[in-house]
Amino acid sequence: MISVRALEKSFAGARGEVRALRGVSFEVGKGQLFTLLGPSGCGKTTTLRCIAGLEQPSAGEILINERAVFNAAAGTFVPPERRRIGMVFQSYAIWPHMTVAGNVEYPLAGEASRKERSIKVDEILQRLGLGELADRLAPNLSGGQQQRVALARALVAQPEILLLDEPLSNLDAKLREQMRFELKSLQESFGITTVYVTHDQEEALALSDRVGLMHEGALLEVGAPAELYLHPAHKITADFLGMANFIPAHVQRGGNQPGDEMLLESPIGSFVARRSVEWQPGPAALLFFRPENVEILDGNGPAGCETNHGAGVVERVTFLGNSADVILRSGATAVRVRAHPARIPAVGKTVSFSVAPSACIVFPV
Amino acid sequence: MSVTPTTLANNVQIRHWSLARSFSIRSLTLGLTLAVVSYLVLVPLLMLLYASVKSTEDKLPFESTVTTLGNYAAVFTSPSTLPIFLNTLLFAAGSLAVGLPLAILLAWLLERTAIPGRAWIANLILVPMTIPSLLSAISWIQLLDPRIGLINVALRGLFGIDVEAGPLDIYSLSGMCFVQGLRLVPSAYLMIAASFRAMDPSLEEQSAMAGQNIAQTTLRVTLPIMRPALLAALIYFIIVVVESFDIPGLLGFTARIRVLSTAIYWATHSEVGLPDYGLASALGTIILGAALLLMWLYQRLTAHQERFATITGKGYRPRQVRLGAWTAPAAVFCLLYVLIAVLLPFLMLLWTSVQPFYAPPSAESLARASFEGYANIWRDGSIVRALWNTILLALVTSVATIVLAVLVSWFVVRRRSQGSGIANYLATVSFLPQCVPSIVIGLALIFVYVRFPIPIYGTLWIIALAMTTRYLAYSSRATTAALMQVHGELEEASQMSGAPWTRTLRRITMPLLAPAMINVFFWVAVHAMQELSMALMLYNPNTVVVSTMIWSMWQNGRTADAAVLGVILIFLSALLLLGGQAVSYLRRGSDAQMPGQ
Repeated sequence: MISVRALEKSFAGARGEVRALRGVSFEVGKGQLFTLLGPSGCGKTTTLRCIAGLEQPSAGEILINERAVFNAAAGTFVPPERRRIGMVFQSYAIWPHMTVAGNVEYPLAGEASRKERSIKVDEILQRLGLGELADRLAPNLSGGQQQRVALARALVAQPEILLLDEPLSNLDAKLREQMRFELKSLQESFGITTVYVTHDQEEALALSDRVGLMHEGALLEVGAPAELYLHPAHKITADFLGMANFIPAHVQRGGNQPGDEMLLESPIGSFVARRSVEWQPGPAALLFFRPENVEILDGNGPAGCETNHGAGVVERVTFLGNSADVILRSGATAVRVRAHPARIPAVGKTVSFSVAPSACIVFPV
Repeated sequence: MSVTPTTLANNVQIRHWSLARSFSIRSLTLGLTLAVVSYLVLVPLLMLLYASVKSTEDKLPFESTVTTLGNYAAVFTSPSTLPIFLNTLLFAAGSLAVGLPLAILLAWLLERTAIPGRAWIANLILVPMTIPSLLSAISWIQLLDPRIGLINVALRGLFGIDVEAGPLDIYSLSGMCFVQGLRLVPSAYLMIAASFRAMDPSLEEQSAMAGQNIAQTTLRVTLPIMRPALLAALIYFIIVVVESFDIPGLLGFTARIRVLSTAIYWATHSEVGLPDYGLASALGTIILGAALLLMWLYQRLTAHQERFATITGKGYRPRQVRLGAWTAPAAVFCLLYVLIAVLLPFLMLLWTSVQPFYAPPSAESLARASFEGYANIWRDGSIVRALWNTILLALVTSVATIVLAVLVSWFVVRRRSQGSGIANYLATVSFLPQCVPSIVIGLALIFVYVRFPIPIYGTLWIIALAMTTRYLAYSSRATTAALMQVHGELEEASQMSGAPWTRTLRRITMPLLAPAMINVFFWVAVHAMQELSMALMLYNPNTVVVSTMIWSMWQNGRTADAAVLGVILIFLSALLLLGGQAVSYLRRGSDAQMPGQ
């Protein structure tokens, strides 16, 4: 279990102080996989390195299984080598002057007898499918093998928690997908509390029990992958995860609580949408919905329904195999639609479309 | 959050524990490194400045209570010191005029033309680097002494000149420039050849496409592109010449020509009267100021070199110029250079070492040749001691330097991310000795230790200290460059594996730095073995080393003994260099499976 509370970190930059972390707080439950997601420079790796002890935060507190490893107020700082953390680095950091077995045995030094150590090394190498490679020198390994060695080294000493810093970013696309599932099943079978850092939203959604979205040094929003994707509380989250349509609109009828229905008037028609957490009452708003929630209709529109539909000219179609990316133009507004590959409208044709009210969210401008 | 008494107590305990152990070794090492480096570099320089403003007519700087600018006034007004500045300028200009054009020409021929036997010539050019300057001077004296020099004797015979001396005189400013200039060629060649290699060939090809011939391309494209690199080399070698001691010391002694570095030596080792430390330290401060200024210029020039984009990542060799009818003359030129500048002096030294007294080669003197000198030398206790001292000195200096260099570069590279103040300070101070001439370090250390409570004055340790200070600059630069190639995550992965800092250093950092450390170790050992000026300032009869022994043998007219000892010194140096090569080769062999990263 990990608790991060009100973490602050400042660097002395070229133009004064840079606040790399601004009050980051989150909890990771026992055995859970928590992902810090965000673009580069958002502070996710800095947060991870603070948990590891490789960076010293300026303020806040970090607890691992109830033990304070960092507390600014009390002056506690447990150095990284005493934190009992396994970590996989982005570069894997496999020591090139040692064999695979040498790399994996390293964390066990001074802990057990030589025999016990070699049993533990064999065991973890077998478990990760590296048994054959024990005597291989580390640089003679493929990317996927290096990643496994890094994992074996991180797990061999039975650490309390596991930290993964973009562990898949150095692999090619196909291997990445395969390792994603392997990583998840390994993490589950070890039952180890894990913090995972990535900028890849697909990875985050596929792997995590919970995802925290970071933006400019702050943890913007935390939630289960589906929750975050379907009901983003912030515009930035909605924009960063998946694809988005944001259409400027006027508020006709407001809502009192997040989740309440609101009525918006937009250039493409009237829409009923739910109020977001972030919404601040005012006349102007942004209507948000995802391309895959847009349904292209056969006729001129649903009968008896006055809102949540519009029409546009098909401007461009990009065929992607399992789907097609369609741009509809309605006056000055472009609407992005994810269409089924079997039902691609012809370019230049005018089509009508609808978006279910439950898929529409209102954000402030 | 509610704080229970137990977690509070736990926190406090952890805090004490962490303060007490985990960071203390690293902080302690950092503190120690900072203290040692500051002490080694800054204290002598401050002492030098202090001594230069103390009146010291017949007293040591410490005993004097009068602060004065009199030393500087004397330097700039005395008719005996004014020629020193002119001589130094002429000596620097003349040596560079001999050395740099030769180096540029050789570098161009070997890098850019299809000259036959390239690899052989390129290796032979570097051979003089293993020969101490002191011995270059001695062997050139054997060749160009106005009366008995082999070349002079041959020339007189050849042209039937019936005079006692001449036509050439090594004991002159031009003689000094000639020998010093030839000394510069190997290192200048390395530097210039490297920038030829780094040049983007497409720039030249572009000119060729525009219809320019080779000469036009070379003059209008190649040389202008290389101008910053050549200018940097020029400044660098001005520093080298200004601080060089061996050649002006040996040749200028007979010729009565003094330059700044030798003037400092003779001010403190006067043949008549007491040492004038005030004059020496004023001269030392001036030479130090000049070197600092030049080094600053050099740094500025090399810092902006990327602007000229001479380096590209493309792995192809530049186009090679076909020399056509010029092939034979070019090859003959290279051959002559190797013969005259490399082989002849060395053979002359060998010849001198097997002769009981000096005589030009002839049937008669060949009959006298014997290796008795080599056998007799071991009976002289002081020579055996000098050899032993030299080996000890080389070992102590290279171990001390490498330890310090690795620590300095670790803190410079790994601490730069967190608060760069300390890192920048360490980088600057450890590089400072690069612009402190050896003779000045020797002088300053006299001031520091002659009255200092640390009783190392007159021991081998003070010489080792001087050399460690001097070689720290090169060594820490080399290890810093190597450490920057070692990804920080490799060390962090060790930390995350539970290894304390010392174990990370021992098991991860040091093995990965090993190739650079081996190179630096042997570089320092060879330099320490051959170094003359620092040893000369600081030695006494108990701490005599091979280089100072050769110097005093020469001063006392024991030419044959000096040559014997010189050949032994060259042999030892070559052995060390070969040892270094062998260690690197064996290591590479054992890591054969390891692809270069």
